[in-house]
Amino acid sequence: MLATATPPAPRQRPGRWWPTAPVRRLGLQTTPGRIRALAAIAVLAIAGFYIVANIAIGNARDGLRVIGHDAGPQVLATGDLFFALSDMDSQVANVLLTGREHDLGTRQQALNRYSQERATADRAAIQAAELSASNPIDQATVRSVLDGLGRYEQLATRAMVLNEQANHPAGPPPGHVIAVYRQATDLMKLELLPQAYNLTLEGGATVREAYAAKRAAVLSSRLWVALVGLAAIAALAGLQFFVAARFRRLVNSALALATLGLIVLSLAAVRLLSGEAAQLQAAKTGGFDSILTMSRARAISNSLHADESRFLLDPGRADTYSLAYLDKSQTVLYVPSGNLGEYHTGLSAAMKAYHANPRTVSFLGFYGDEARAHPGPAVTSILTRFQQIQADDQRIRRLAGAGDTQQATTLLTGRTAGSSSYDFDQYDKAVVSLIGMHRATFDQAIRTGDRELGQSILGNWAALLPLAALGAVILVVVGVRARLAEYR
Amino acid sequence: MKRVRATTRSRAGAAAVLALAICLPSACSAGGPPSIVGEQSLRIGVKADQPGLGLRAPDGRFAGFDVDVARYVAAKLGIRPDHITFVPVTSATRETALENGSVDMVFATYSITPERETKVTFGGPYYVAHQDTAVRRGDTAIRNVHDLKGKRLCAVAGSNSWKRVTQELNIAATLVPATSYSECVAMLLDRRVDAVSTDDLILAGFAARQGSAVRIVNAPFSDERYGIGIKKGDLGACEAANRAVSAMYLDGTAAALLHKWFGTTGLQPDTHVPQFEGCG
Repeated sequence: MLATATPPAPRQRPGRWWPTAPVRRLGLQTTPGRIRALAAIAVLAIAGFYIVANIAIGNARDGLRVIGHDAGPQVLATGDLFFALSDMDSQVANVLLTGREHDLGTRQQALNRYSQERATADRAAIQAAELSASNPIDQATVRSVLDGLGRYEQLATRAMVLNEQANHPAGPPPGHVIAVYRQATDLMKLELLPQAYNLTLEGGATVREAYAAKRAAVLSSRLWVALVGLAAIAALAGLQFFVAARFRRLVNSALALATLGLIVLSLAAVRLLSGEAAQLQAAKTGGFDSILTMSRARAISNSLHADESRFLLDPGRADTYSLAYLDKSQTVLYVPSGNLGEYHTGLSAAMKAYHANPRTVSFLGFYGDEARAHPGPAVTSILTRFQQIQADDQRIRRLAGAGDTQQATTLLTGRTAGSSSYDFDQYDKAVVSLIGMHRATFDQAIRTGDRELGQSILGNWAALLPLAALGAVILVVVGVRARLAEYR
Repeated sequence: MKRVRATTRSRAGAAAVLALAICLPSACSAGGPPSIVGEQSLRIGVKADQPGLGLRAPDGRFAGFDVDVARYVAAKLGIRPDHITFVPVTSATRETALENGSVDMVFATYSITPERETKVTFGGPYYVAHQDTAVRRGDTAIRNVHDLKGKRLCAVAGSNSWKRVTQELNIAATLVPATSYSECVAMLLDRRVDAVSTDDLILAGFAARQGSAVRIVNAPFSDERYGIGIKKGDLGACEAANRAVSAMYLDGTAAALLHKWFGTTGLQPDTHVPQFEGCG
């Protein structure tokens, strides 16, 4: 039945399932022709391996560069810039609040701190400009911040000179001083700080995108490296078996060496790419994400602390500053609450639950994220101190509400234990220390990634790969040349 | 427009299958929640009854500052103008509309608040407005927000403005419920409420319309950051929206739009790029 259903067989030599014409054209019916063809396939496979491995390593290098050397450090530099700028304005507010009560001892301290932050802002801006060398828009933004800073200093100095002349008691200065300070703080709040903060966010966005794209690329190209590596090994093995069978030899040592080399190279490349993907992940999720979260928390915290000073300084805008204080507090640590009173109650309850069991993170916001991602004593210390600055705030507002602005000012600006500025510094130190811990994780991952890319027996992977591929090709040529010579 | 969306989605699906095919099973993580980045059409929620910001004309077209900003941002996201569908939303429906996917983005005088951020991802803010209070022309008793104590204050469902007054500032005003600010202004003129307290941009739009019947007390007491509402977790769209807003301020479009819509109201809008909220 079957035999009758089959159409007449095409004219073909028996036992050959492939069409014979191209075989003859390529000279594949002869042994040297087949050796040449198999050798060509092996060389192509090695070249293919070289190309995919090169692309894969390029992806890993790009990922490390963006995350570890460009946008990542940019986030830190612009975070420092924001903090220094925001703290300058905060210190100006404190100077204006202390008035003639120089014995508060705080005026000079605030002035010193102002100059320190001015210098920090300069350094951070220069660093941010250097890191954004490849991004003209970011560079223009940094320049614009520095230009604005010049104008800010003029206004701040004028406010402080007028304040000195006014010689008022601790508390809000006279209206003409407040008017100049409003110009200064508006310039800071509406022009300078947004630019610095947006640069931090843009750095974060760049890192997130680079991580998603480059890690996926490293992982998928790792598969390609493995597949093409296997293909090259198979081609070499095929050639080896063919030569061994035709020439009745056990092994062709050059081909065997090439095969062995390629096996080692493939395994090393796959291992390298796995390592690079792991380092990218460690740098991003183990370090960078928290650096960004905590840098933002630090920036917003400084700005809410400044709103506390401004609340006392400028009674005409007290409502605005109170509402901004609440909004910013909730951004940093969110508990459901309609006003500051409810916020303080909610915060106490959430902290009580947290201290009873640090796994009970009933709050959201930056610290909610951080406490869930990296529970531990470092976060607990920050939370305790955050609660302390909120308790100070409550006392300051109570005093101010009762009309005792002098006492409120002393509590706010004092730099000894028990005053708001002191407690805020302690809080900020805890935040900086946690950022430092994450920075160490981040740096470690980037360093390991860089080292593995740069390290192998023959040195840099970029140098090793072409050399190894070329070596394998030479070995193939050497291995088949001796056999082909037997046909001359 | 439906068809455009369907083909984009199926193309995105095919791309995802392709991406999976070249990924090692152990290595490929899900690439986060779906994003509206790469869509070819968008449904954008805007207000329909707020002059100057989002107002629907009798012919069904929408116009206002929010609408123009939405068009600009959508264009930066690669959406052709005729592929934008504006959908009216109210203060009470904004979150639901984003959550159930009936709109992709919201530009509707949508103040960023920590509470809303628990449900929505906010791009921007694209503008920072300030809450102020509007009264009837002849009413001189109300000079700032604290004078609202004991007065009848219009409270729009889903709006944050009345909460600022009665909850955050603890001012004991009597709340009179309403569904929109256009209703509030009507109630103000009918003497059913004594004051409408909300963002200066919204009040300016109504004041310009009502002529001399309404007076803004000009005592701003808050910063209201107008955010771009995006489905919670769509970080790619949020970052793209922020870049678009940066560009809008950089190329002068923001200043031009603010002048176009509020140039005659006596407001002096700020033309510097606001501090973004951040997407994560």
